[in-house]
Amino acid sequence: MNVIVNESPVEIAENSTVEQLLNHLDKPLKGCALAVNQSIISRSKWSEYKLREGDQISLFQAIAGG
Amino acid sequence: MLFNEMIDNDQLVIADKTFTSRLFTGTGKFNDQQTMIDALQASQSQLVTMALKRVDMQHKDDDILAPLIKNGMNLLPNTSGARNAKEAIFAAQLAREALQTNWVKLEIHPDPKYLLPDPIETLKAAEALANDGFVVLPYVHADPVLCKHLEAAGCAAVMPLGAPIGSNKGIKTRDFLEIIIEQANIPVVVDAGIGSPSHAALAMEMGADAVLVNTAMAVAGNPVAMSEAFAKAVQAGRQAYLSGLAGQSNRAIASSPLTAFLEAGK
Repeated sequence: MNVIVNESPVEIAENSTVEQLLNHLDKPLKGCALAVNQSIISRSKWSEYKLREGDQISLFQAIAGG
Repeated sequence: MLFNEMIDNDQLVIADKTFTSRLFTGTGKFNDQQTMIDALQASQSQLVTMALKRVDMQHKDDDILAPLIKNGMNLLPNTSGARNAKEAIFAAQLAREALQTNWVKLEIHPDPKYLLPDPIETLKAAEALANDGFVVLPYVHADPVLCKHLEAAGCAAVMPLGAPIGSNKGIKTRDFLEIIIEQANIPVVVDAGIGSPSHAALAMEMGADAVLVNTAMAVAGNPVAMSEAFAKAVQAGRQAYLSGLAGQSNRAIASSPLTAFLEAGK
C-alpha cells in the first residue's frame, strides 16, 4: 500500500505499523516525532499503530536551533 | 564570603531542574557539530535549545542529539517556525515526543523580518501548554505587564528580549527589563540580542536570573574562546549583582583623602 511521508509517496507492506515504516525509511528514530493525518502518535504506540492506505504522515526531527 | 562559596549557594531553580550555570545557549548557526560541542562545553551551559523540522526525505541529517545528551546537556526544544498559538502547541507536543521532555521554549514570531514575538498568541499558547503539564519558558518582548500575565498563566520562567534575535545589539530594553526583574516571582532569562560578553554581564548585574546566548557565540571568530568569555562574563555579572553594586552620583566623590599636602611648606 502507499502512504505519504512529508509529501513523498512511500510503498510499504499492508498493515505496516509506524515502527515498520520508520525501519523501512532507515531514518534515525532518536529525536523524531510523527503525526498521522495531523494526530501525533506517541512513541509508545509506534509498534502497534497500524497505517492505512493514503495516510498522510508528517515526520519531524530535532535539529540545531536557538 | 569567597566567590566559590557564593556560587555554591547560588543555584538557579526552574521547575524540576537546578542549574549551577546561568548561561543558557542555543545550538544554531555553528559551522560544524564539533565546534558546537566544544563551544557548549566551554560555555559550561547546562541547558541548550533545539529546534524541530520536517525530516528531509532525500538527505540524511547529522544526529546532533547524541553528543548533546552524552555531554549531560538538558534540552530545551523551541517552537520556532510557529506563527500562531495552534502551531506552537502542535510543535511543543511534537517536541515532547521527539526529545522526551516537557520543557519548551515557546516562541511565536509571525514576521520573519524582525522575528518579534506575538504577545497575544504567546499568552494563549502558554496557558494551554502550562495546563497540559509543560514547563513553559516563553520568549517575549520586554513587556512587564505581559510577563505578569505569563506568570499567572503558570509559566516556569519568562524570556524577555534585549534586542531582536541575532541582532547582537545588546540590552536595548534595559528600563523595561529592570521592571520585569523587579516584579517577577519566576526566573527572568534575558534572551535575544546579547551580542558580547559585556551585554551578558550587564543583564546579570541588573539581576537577571540567566541569559540565553546563541548567535554571538556561534558566529564569533573563535566560537569556543568566545563561549568561555561569555561564561566568565555571566559569572562576573552575577557576582557583581550578589555583591551589591555601588550607587552612582553626578558629582565626583574622591577616592583619595583630599589632604592639603601639595600646599604644605608654603
